[in-house]
Amino acid sequence: MGISALRTEHLSKRYGRLLALNDLTLDVPAGEVFGFLGPNGAGKSTTIRLLLGLARPTSGRAWVFDTDAADVAAAHRRLAYVPADVALWPRMTGAEVLDLLARIGPGTDTAYRDELVQRFALDVSKAAGTYSTGNRQKVALIAAFATRAPLLVLDEPTSGLDPLMELQFRQAVGVARDNGQTVFLSSHQLAEVEAVCDRVGILRAGELVEVASVAQLRRLHHTEVAATFTGTPPDLTGVHGVHGLHADGAATVRFTLNGSPAAALRALADADVATIIVREQSLEEIFLAYYGQNAR
Amino acid sequence: MIATMAAAARPEHVLRGLAVRQVRRGALVVTAVCAGMSALVVAGYHSEALDPAALAALASNPAIRTLFGEPVALDHAGGFTVWRTGTVLAVLLGVWAMLAASRTTRGEEDAGRWGLLLSGRITLAEAVRQHLGVLAVVPVLVGAATAAAMIAAGVDATGSLLHGTGLAAVGLFFVAVGGVTAQLFVSRSAANGAAAAVLVVGLLTRMVGDGAPALAWLRWLSPFGLLALTRPFDSNRGLPVSLLAVAAVLLLALAGRLAARRDVGAAILATPGSRPARTALLGSVPAFAVRRTVRPLVAWSAGIGAYFLLLGLIARSMTEFLTGNPEFAAMAAQAGFPALGTVEGYAATLYALLAVPAGVFVAVRLAAVAADENARRLTLLLAAPVTRLRLLAAEAAVAGCAALFLITVAGIAMWAGTATVHAGLSAGDALAGAWNVVPVMLLCLGAAALALGWTPRAVAAIGALPAAGGFMWQVTADSIGAPSWIRALSPFAHLAAVPATAPAGVAASVMAGIAAAGVVAGTVGYRRRDLSA
Ligand SMILES: Nc1ncnc2c1ncn2[C@@H]1O[C@H](COP(=O)(O)OP(=O)(O)O)[C@@H](O)[C@H]1O
Ligand SMILES: [Mg+2]
Repeated sequence: MGISALRTEHLSKRYGRLLALNDLTLDVPAGEVFGFLGPNGAGKSTTIRLLLGLARPTSGRAWVFDTDAADVAAAHRRLAYVPADVALWPRMTGAEVLDLLARIGPGTDTAYRDELVQRFALDVSKAAGTYSTGNRQKVALIAAFATRAPLLVLDEPTSGLDPLMELQFRQAVGVARDNGQTVFLSSHQLAEVEAVCDRVGILRAGELVEVASVAQLRRLHHTEVAATFTGTPPDLTGVHGVHGLHADGAATVRFTLNGSPAAALRALADADVATIIVREQSLEEIFLAYYGQNAR
Repeated sequence: MIATMAAAARPEHVLRGLAVRQVRRGALVVTAVCAGMSALVVAGYHSEALDPAALAALASNPAIRTLFGEPVALDHAGGFTVWRTGTVLAVLLGVWAMLAASRTTRGEEDAGRWGLLLSGRITLAEAVRQHLGVLAVVPVLVGAATAAAMIAAGVDATGSLLHGTGLAAVGLFFVAVGGVTAQLFVSRSAANGAAAAVLVVGLLTRMVGDGAPALAWLRWLSPFGLLALTRPFDSNRGLPVSLLAVAAVLLLALAGRLAARRDVGAAILATPGSRPARTALLGSVPAFAVRRTVRPLVAWSAGIGAYFLLLGLIARSMTEFLTGNPEFAAMAAQAGFPALGTVEGYAATLYALLAVPAGVFVAVRLAAVAADENARRLTLLLAAPVTRLRLLAAEAAVAGCAALFLITVAGIAMWAGTATVHAGLSAGDALAGAWNVVPVMLLCLGAAALALGWTPRAVAAIGALPAAGGFMWQVTADSIGAPSWIRALSPFAHLAAVPATAPAGVAASVMAGIAAAGVVAGTVGYRRRDLSA
């Protein structure tokens, strides 16, 4: 078992009567790209604010590389953060903000920073007051990726970026991963999470409902199968792993498959299969299955 | 059908409701202070037989006129009250009005809270107009309450109503000025700075216009000059106040027009497209605090410096006049200005006033930290290896040092003025007199830090309380001859008249101790609480 980049134990946060985060216990090993998924209001930003010491937990604790998260001076030497909505001093230029963040931050690779400025096509000579939401986000992203801090905490960092910049973002996450940096990426964009994350945690109404690798998450869930037959379809009732069986016309059956497909494949092999379509559910469908009714 | 109509009637209501909620508490306080103080001074007035020749001498002395405005109807409770409280209350109302105007418009926009509001059917211009419209009601209430309070306390209705109208017009004018500067500048601090410059220039123009007969026309260009020109309880002129009201209405309309011509989050005065980076003072948290303080400090120093230079220039004329007319020395003492007869006494009395701007300055600087937090600008700093303790310590230390600088500038400016007219104030005495107000400034720093830790939305008000509130407390207590324990509640009661007398070491230490306790308690709160937004 390697070291943890980020660890929480029974972390909770209450705002008045609202339990924004309920008993979160999580461990993100160093070097992992971890996706923190949840719809708006699930408690993602709250979690991150607790991890950063910007808000105080109602109960529970958190660690950044075995430093208590409350010990900000030490913990923040090993992380960089991109907030969900970036606010800057309007009269400072982008370059000045980057300079400030580099000089008070945990150490910056200025050559890489300049490269990132190019890649994200940010005009850093303009005053921040003239920047769009996306441009402000770019400033924070460039500052964070350029730190090479061992942990990057990103809170919905691409909500203001266009698709081209989103691509640059994914590349930068890839570079960070190759450098051995840990990335904690809060998001509600599944395609993004699917593209860059090793593992995801799913948060619903302040509770962690699942932690799994993206592949596992799919495997845990159903595979959809539709098969047509030249002759009479076989009776698959009671075959191991087959659920939701229904006939679709005389020659087609549809069902969903859970777990090992061996038994179902044997049963199909005995019949004259004309076509077969096997489809994994998308992360989106899995996500919707989690949030079905009472999503918050 | 009904639902659509209800929905159509809604936006203005929503906007007005929003505006009312943001200003009602401050409006109540300002109204209570203006009405209460006016009534108390009317009630506490006891007339002294003044001989007409002496009164004429008083009214024509340039120094008296510069400092206090043209003395009119001093033999009347109403006239005395206007003379004693008029400028103070007009400045209080004006400052509140312009700050409230920029806070509720540019400030809300800055903090991103208008994004949702303006994504609907409401236009930016409409939002600005509604907010300023609600705010414009406040000065009218203040004026009405003041007039009613004075009438109730037993002076003429005409003079009281005119004075109330004058106050209302000044308040309205500064609502409009705040509204216009909030459209012109992209940041709230720049808008406030520009509006404050209008206020200070208005005050100085009034002083010069009153002091130099050849420049008397200048008073027509200043809101405070126009207020004085109405001469309530004397000739009761309506024209100046009407002019001021018209100017205010025109400026209000201009604010609406300007809002219609700009984008959300942008300003009429465009920020320059591109410029080379200025990387000085970005290396550490304290350096960055200095960087953000330099610009306001320069502006404040210019305003305060000019004011105290002017006070220095009239020092000799004032002291000579009071030595020659002892009956007015007694009267000045009743008005809270004892010992104006010697240059040291004069300096001591006027340096005490310096505590007000110095205290307000530190309060405003820490309020800027709260505003940065509220607008989420501090998030990136505090995500760096920077503890809240270090941030607060840096900001408080820089604000305190900047206030010391400001106090020193005032000390030197008044000394330069007195030296120009050979009034005989030594540089050492000047600096000692200026530095004498440091404990009150520290009290403000302590109060502001305390507020930052526990009620970050009220930093400016609570921080300014020891200086601005203490000053008005003392003025009122002096005017009504309140018992000494009531006077003692104001920190000004504990300032020795330096350089006329030796500094009050014990009182200064006690004030510094209270300030330190405030800073410590504020730090505890600041470290424990959640950061807002
Ligand atoms: N400072 C606060 N005061 C009160 N409620 C809050 C505060 N911050 C967040 N909340 C509430 O906590 C819940 C979680 O919010 P948040 O963590 O921002 O969600 P997410 O980032 O997943 O969209 C929401 O219901 C939100 O309204
Ligand atoms: Mg969020």
